[in-house]
Amino acid sequence: MKLISWLAVGAVMLSAAAPSLLRAQGKPLTVTGVRGITFGVVFPGVPRVITRTDPANSGQFDIKGPNRSQVLLAFILPLTMTSPAGAQMPLAFGSSDAGYSQSQAIGSQVGFDPKQPFTATLSNNGRGSVFVGATANPAPGQQAGVYTATITLTVTILP
Amino acid sequence: MRTISKLPLAVLALVVSGATAARAQTNNASILATANVQTPINVLGAQPLGFGNVFPGVNKTVGPDDLTNAGRFDVTGQGTAPVTLSFGLPASLSAGGPTLGIGNFQAIRSDDNAQLVGAAFFSPGASNAATFGAAGTMFVWVGARVTPAVNQAAGLYTGTITLTVVY
Repeated sequence: MKLISWLAVGAVMLSAAAPSLLRAQGKPLTVTGVRGITFGVVFPGVPRVITRTDPANSGQFDIKGPNRSQVLLAFILPLTMTSPAGAQMPLAFGSSDAGYSQSQAIGSQVGFDPKQPFTATLSNNGRGSVFVGATANPAPGQQAGVYTATITLTVTILP
Repeated sequence: MRTISKLPLAVLALVVSGATAARAQTNNASILATANVQTPINVLGAQPLGFGNVFPGVNKTVGPDDLTNAGRFDVTGQGTAPVTLSFGLPASLSAGGPTLGIGNFQAIRSDDNAQLVGAAFFSPGASNAATFGAAGTMFVWVGARVTPAVNQAAGLYTGTITLTVVY
């Protein structure tokens, strides 16, 4: 009976401790698409470059998670943009077209290749931002229209 | 005894599930890339530059305002968009072997095909700035002067004038 009591007490202590442990380590991870890449008006035959430091037109994701945790950033990048009529326009990402900012400031990024997974560390309050630029390459005879493509960022907390 | 053995299992399950939740956090989000592609440029050679009959030793000029004989290109693209016109101009016309000098090229561009709307005179060259009319049309006429020698061989002389238009 005494043994049973001790075990019960231990279980209660552990069950009380476990949620707080999770709170400290496991603040929920959220990724938010803040802003898309906006090429605006594009003329056939004239490449249009959006840099990751463009405050109005670059893409931006915000990340929240456990404080100071290491995260793996991995993009799914489209090769083309598509018009409603089905026309396609090449879209290119350079080796430094993505940037990570622990302070979430567009002016203080560490550049990285969006085609490769990148390891980053969230800030002391568990935040970070990813910025992304790209180049649209319309052909000289590119069909007129509004072209779109989807860029996905997957974030994984590393153990 | 059955109670005792169940409690550690419950505790273990709680700890393991908590540790797993802490390790395996993954999330993702998507954004759009958007671009508004404008109308592509199309250039059509609509009318040749025709000098008609030319006599040896007598220069002949066709002005760009000669709607019948000046060479004409019809260009379409995005309304009001700025473009660059680049001309490839021959230094002479050829009749197989003999050549006939040509030069003093002049040009007019206009939003309409009668030189009534937005018409502007210019000297055609490697790089001429221009702007499409609101309707996305541009008409370009080219005139020139041929300078036949006194002993110019008779025959039909031709040359090629090229216009390239880019945004």
